[in-house]
Amino acid sequence: MSRFVVSNLSINRAELPVVTSVDLVAESAAISVVLGANGAGKTTLLEGLSGIIPVAGGTIAVDGRELQKARPGARSREGLAHVEQGRTVFRQLTTEENLRVSLHAGADIAEAYALFPELVQRRHVKASLLSGGEQQMLVIARSLLTRPKVLLIDEMSAGLAPVIVTRLMAAVRKLADDGLAVVLVEQFAALALSIGNRAYVMRRGRIVYDGDCAKLRQSPDELHRLYLGGAELAGTS
Amino acid sequence: MNALLTSAVAGLTAGGTYALLGVCAVFTYRLVAVVNFTGAAIGTAGTFVLIALFEAGFPIWPSVLAGIAAGTLTGVAVGYIMTRWFGEAGASTKAAVTVALLVGLMAVGLRLTGGQHPHNMPELLPGSAFRLAGVEVTIASVLTIGLAVLFTILSDLFLNRTKVGLNLRALADRPMAAELLGVRVQLLSLLVWGMTGAFTTFALMIIAPQRSPNFMTLSLLVVPALAAALVGAFRSFWWTLAGGIALGIVEGLASSIDSISQYRSAIPFLVVLAVLLWSQREARWDEAR
Repeated sequence: MSRFVVSNLSINRAELPVVTSVDLVAESAAISVVLGANGAGKTTLLEGLSGIIPVAGGTIAVDGRELQKARPGARSREGLAHVEQGRTVFRQLTTEENLRVSLHAGADIAEAYALFPELVQRRHVKASLLSGGEQQMLVIARSLLTRPKVLLIDEMSAGLAPVIVTRLMAAVRKLADDGLAVVLVEQFAALALSIGNRAYVMRRGRIVYDGDCAKLRQSPDELHRLYLGGAELAGTS
Repeated sequence: MNALLTSAVAGLTAGGTYALLGVCAVFTYRLVAVVNFTGAAIGTAGTFVLIALFEAGFPIWPSVLAGIAAGTLTGVAVGYIMTRWFGEAGASTKAAVTVALLVGLMAVGLRLTGGQHPHNMPELLPGSAFRLAGVEVTIASVLTIGLAVLFTILSDLFLNRTKVGLNLRALADRPMAAELLGVRVQLLSLLVWGMTGAFTTFALMIIAPQRSPNFMTLSLLVVPALAAALVGAFRSFWWTLAGGIALGIVEGLASSIDSISQYRSAIPFLVVLAVLLWSQREARWDEAR
């Protein structure tokens, strides 16, 4: 059972605070959903967690092992996987080669194809020629082969058809059910809340809600208020 | 006619060296996204370690190995600077940094090696390999061209058939995405710098006796090397190889014609100009369309 704990995390960009004093927990076999309007600091938060940008303060720990000073590669080897926004496939490599890059000891490419059978027929196609949905499947499947304990997913639905988004959400739920701790950053709040367990809402770099997904899903007005302001830390964990 | 052929064949050693340096430049650009102006200077550093040891009375082949080791380490040192401090910089910034490093390496190299002071550079493999239409083809020519072809073939095989090569191709495409998957980006980048450092050092050891062996002259062999790389559009190893050899042959031919021989060092610039104009011509055609 893995546990991902973020405490009092602050991140600056160009010396300006973008994420301030964030506390966040992701448990094994559960999805923690992070919501918020554009510019709330969600992507910056994930980039700080995976090491793409340095953090200004606070701690990041997987199973009690602190990682906030480690490089992105070292965090990955400690079990932290990050699916970046923008479908970051290796464009010149085929689908199968993309998967082989991330293949860690003990992992099997068959696991990736079992999660997304759609990729089997496209295994020898260059990743740049895949559809947007297939590319998103590929980057999620690719991160799975690093044998992660924690999976950070950033805006996986951006620019994709609703039917594909539903398909991807189901796959992410399955990954969590298989034991992964997932942190899911999403714009499609209703869909994300429908598969998530614990919800966080960010506004101006701070967490203004920490509570159950189900509770927030039943209160769209409250979600609105949290996005737009006027309510501070409405939920309880 | 025979005089022209002799001159052309005489240009083969230089051509092989340009080709090998050019292929190394393409290798560096494709895998770590750096247009490397220090390529020849790194090899020159290793070559001068060979010269220093040879002049101090050490036997030649152990000195060659020590020189290659020194070139490899110099390559790794330059690579460390580029990956540690400029890993996320744009291509033009990285190129500018390597120009600055080239100036620094030349200044330090000239100071340490006595400036224009003549050195006793041993010929590693003297003599003739075979005769071609009555013209002697030297072992040095065969060796440099053979080495360039070998590096080209090995690069293709390495990149397409090995896991490390696959990781390097991923690294070249999206360095951060590769690092997020646990690929050891810094280590692989240093491997690229070290490998190209070793090969360029050996190439320069072969060509050094034919040139004025001072640090600046050898370091500036990066110009024809980058001209060859440009022929391959910094992408194709085989076109770079052909471009380098052709450049050497044209230089050889030019040296046999009195009226233009003194301008033959300008030939790489003409090649660069011609290739850039050709690429611009295509761009304009695109705009007109």
